[in-house]
Amino acid sequence: MNIEVAEEREGGALILLPVGRLDSANARAFESIVMDHIGNDERKLIFDFGRLSFISSSGMRVLLIAAKRLSANEGTIALCNMQDHIEEVFRVSGFDQIIPIRDSRKAALEVS
Amino acid sequence: MPDLHVSLPAKLTEVRNLSASVEEFGDANRLPQPTVFIINLALDELITNAVTHGTFNVPDPTIDIHLKAERNVVTLTMEDNGSPFDPTAMDAGDVDTTSALEERAVGGLGLHLVRTFAHDMAYEFVDGRNRLTVHHHFKSESE
Repeated sequence: MNIEVAEEREGGALILLPVGRLDSANARAFESIVMDHIGNDERKLIFDFGRLSFISSSGMRVLLIAAKRLSANEGTIALCNMQDHIEEVFRVSGFDQIIPIRDSRKAALEVS
Repeated sequence: MPDLHVSLPAKLTEVRNLSASVEEFGDANRLPQPTVFIINLALDELITNAVTHGTFNVPDPTIDIHLKAERNVVTLTMEDNGSPFDPTAMDAGDVDTTSALEERAVGGLGLHLVRTFAHDMAYEFVDGRNRLTVHHHFKSESE
């Protein structure tokens, strides 16, 4: 199943905005989009979750793999604009300790 | 209060149709939105586990979901006709939520999330079927 991912560029970063649900049904499609960008040497990725309503561990797995790949390539990753219930899931998973989460896109752009 | 009873083929793509039914169940029972989110999260994780780790040696792999809201408790029951598989037997201590990015294990997180947000969960194998029962407590919006 496909996922709509809007893309924008700002301050040298590629901003990815997944729309709707990121679940076990479309996580593979999301993974392939994200890994294509990293494979094309994108070094600064920001995931803006302002249009994301749901995420499960299948979607979070993709973010963890992306963070590992970027870190190994001296790239950066940051997440922003999460709804509270989504941020709670990242917190209980301990992902907030390894992937920078910011309130705004502006703050996410400042992550280096 | 209307219950939700759905029978699905054991496939990942079924999660999507189910989530719409869960939203309707939440509206009909006036469940708080965070509770609806947690139930949808639990269903995504549990169905993913059953489909990817369970073994279905039957011609019609099927998962039955039953949701019931009563006295500030949502009871989620999932039954399937796969081989015996107890998700509660997986050791919670095996889930890595603390190591550094480079060492962080990919996977195993789904059941950790279900367990963390549930009040309790119980597994039994009855009449040749896996049955998992999960309780979620919530505060009604009028309280």
